[in-house]
Amino acid sequence: MQINRRKFIELTSTLAGSTVVASAMPWLSAFNNPAAASANPSDRVRIGFIGLGGRGKALLRNVQDFADRLNVDIAAVCDNYDPHYQEAIELTGGEVPAFYDYRRMLDEVELDGVVIATPLKVHMEPTIDAMSRGVHVFCEKAMERTLDRVKRMYDAHLEHDKILLIGHQRLFSPVYLTAIEEIRRGDIGPVTMINGNWHRNTDWIFYDAEPGSALDRQLNWRLYRETSAGMLTELLSHHLQVANWVKDAQPVSVTGSGSINFWKDHREVWDNFSLVFKYADGTHFKYSCLQSNAHNGMQIQALGNKGMMDLEVNKRYWEDPPAPPAIRQMIHNIESNLFDTIPIGGATWVPAEPVAYGGEFISDDWEMNETQLYLEAFVDFIRKGEAPEKLTLEGYNASTWTLLAEDATYSDRHQTLPEQYLV
Amino acid sequence: MNKLYHNSFYAMGTRCHIVLPGVEEDLCEHLFAVIKDEVNRVESSLSRFLSHSEISVINKKAAKEPVTVSEEIYGILETCREYSEMTHGAFDVSLRPLLQYWKEKNDNSTSDLRLYEIMDAIGMKQIELGNGDRSVSFVNDRVEIDLGGFGKGYALEHIQKKLMDFSVRNAFISFGESSILTMGSHPAGDHWKVGLNDYSQPGRALHTFAVNDGAVSTSSNFFVDDSGELRNHRHVINPFTGYPVEECITVSVRSDSSIVAEVLSTAFLVTRDETIALIKEQAEPCEVVKVNYVGGEPEITVY
Repeated sequence: MQINRRKFIELTSTLAGSTVVASAMPWLSAFNNPAAASANPSDRVRIGFIGLGGRGKALLRNVQDFADRLNVDIAAVCDNYDPHYQEAIELTGGEVPAFYDYRRMLDEVELDGVVIATPLKVHMEPTIDAMSRGVHVFCEKAMERTLDRVKRMYDAHLEHDKILLIGHQRLFSPVYLTAIEEIRRGDIGPVTMINGNWHRNTDWIFYDAEPGSALDRQLNWRLYRETSAGMLTELLSHHLQVANWVKDAQPVSVTGSGSINFWKDHREVWDNFSLVFKYADGTHFKYSCLQSNAHNGMQIQALGNKGMMDLEVNKRYWEDPPAPPAIRQMIHNIESNLFDTIPIGGATWVPAEPVAYGGEFISDDWEMNETQLYLEAFVDFIRKGEAPEKLTLEGYNASTWTLLAEDATYSDRHQTLPEQYLV
Repeated sequence: MNKLYHNSFYAMGTRCHIVLPGVEEDLCEHLFAVIKDEVNRVESSLSRFLSHSEISVINKKAAKEPVTVSEEIYGILETCREYSEMTHGAFDVSLRPLLQYWKEKNDNSTSDLRLYEIMDAIGMKQIELGNGDRSVSFVNDRVEIDLGGFGKGYALEHIQKKLMDFSVRNAFISFGESSILTMGSHPAGDHWKVGLNDYSQPGRALHTFAVNDGAVSTSSNFFVDDSGELRNHRHVINPFTGYPVEECITVSVRSDSSIVAEVLSTAFLVTRDETIALIKEQAEPCEVVKVNYVGGEPEITVY
């Protein structure tokens, strides 16, 4: 993990020379200009964990990876579902106070920050309760189940002057950071369309439980409308954050449609939907999710008149692609004074070639653990007592527009952001 | 390291690469702009894909009334007629309806009767060129001109003239690697070596053309699919039978004239061996290499 971080710092140093860092990715200050931290107990950052299901455990392991290096104390863990509670104790070697009730945890343990990975509809209360007690918050995306609750979380962050970060980890991905810098620089020309999709072939049932039972609703909460907007909040929100980041704006409207056309079981959330978000400059972000065919997988593409960034696969393609291999070989030979035969004559290089040609990698460092980098940044911001507001807004705007997208699919009408949610 | 300029632009459905060794960079940039303008001018006049090109106007109107065309287009059509005669009808710019027939053909929906009707209605003889008034008319409304097998050679000839105007001695110009013009020689040799790619072993040259001031054009009727297999795209129709050429063939022609190279490489895809030899004699000096991929393996015939 040390290598991982060192490579990332090299990247952020390179990006620091660019003018776009301050406006497009100010959170890189966590790596370019970190807070001074000694190994003294007085410098220790105390983190608690609320919600230790699959994602919560992954976040805990990530923090464990850098805890010693960054002088972080994993101070408490909490989950109200006993198997998760027990697993949390096991993961922390029984050396960390464990709780069923997060309020007791906040009351009894001195914390600087909490990492919240509870179900969507249980984000707001622990967030506001933590911040009101002076504790900074890193919360999994999306923010909450309704616009009102999203706004209340955001307002609490302002009211208590506490950090609120939402877990869109692509904000720390070398691929995305490099791509955003190149896009801002104009390398692919003005971005005139964004395409995305997240297609899977899965029933999305994480836990065995009697369908519709209280336990099922608690554990498989993603399937029920009361607790989730399904793939909208769980998948779309990630790519919507990316689209907003690419456009450096939030949408002005969204329209779309959804249905259940395959998984006709007890679930209440769409198993497929299509959306179109519109930005003020006329750019559209076209997005679909599907749970019955995985062929297209996950992708988000920013298209400009000079090129295209295929972000999830770390590829960029130019409209004006490099010379074909034979021409490149000839150029090399001339430059090297070599007089060899170049096999060149052949079938016409067809116009589809720009698509067929394999593209280039956007970043060499794409295998980094961006979730861990984001959590490292959270620790740094806690030390500094503040985080860039833009980072919080990336999460806020993605969450509000995800919920508006849900409204669009149920109302069959395009939706705009009501004024009271504009921040 | 040798001084070398290279650049490319998109035109005529592919990319045109310009390689100019030993020419001052400022002049190269100017030449590049001149060449690009010239190719765009030619394309905007010859392309049937552009609705306002002269060819498109002819295609729209010439069946109803004679269309008076520019000197350049008239000259091109006269040239095409001459090459059609020279190749015994193998080179024919009026075959598009046949291609369209095969594109749309569904075994249940069309019959050979319709194919024969189309064959009767097309051919260079259906394009009438007026004497003296530069008018073009079609004998029937099925005729359509497609200069796809001519345009790149014509554009290369114009590029060559422009380069000669600027006293450029050495150059290598490639349209999508299938239509190549060379001038002078490679900086490290006394000519240019243009290899013919082996599709069964990409990167290997099946034949090398030694070219100074001349062109090499290659026509084929297949593409290489994702698994490396050769697949006939059935876009080459034999005008004598009306049917697509089924074998996987490439024909490469070296000639002093880029137009001759382009025209003959197209025509020889549908020409019998003995006729190729006959036509080649008339078109000397030129060199013809035909490769027939039988079972994926290349069988080479040099004429």
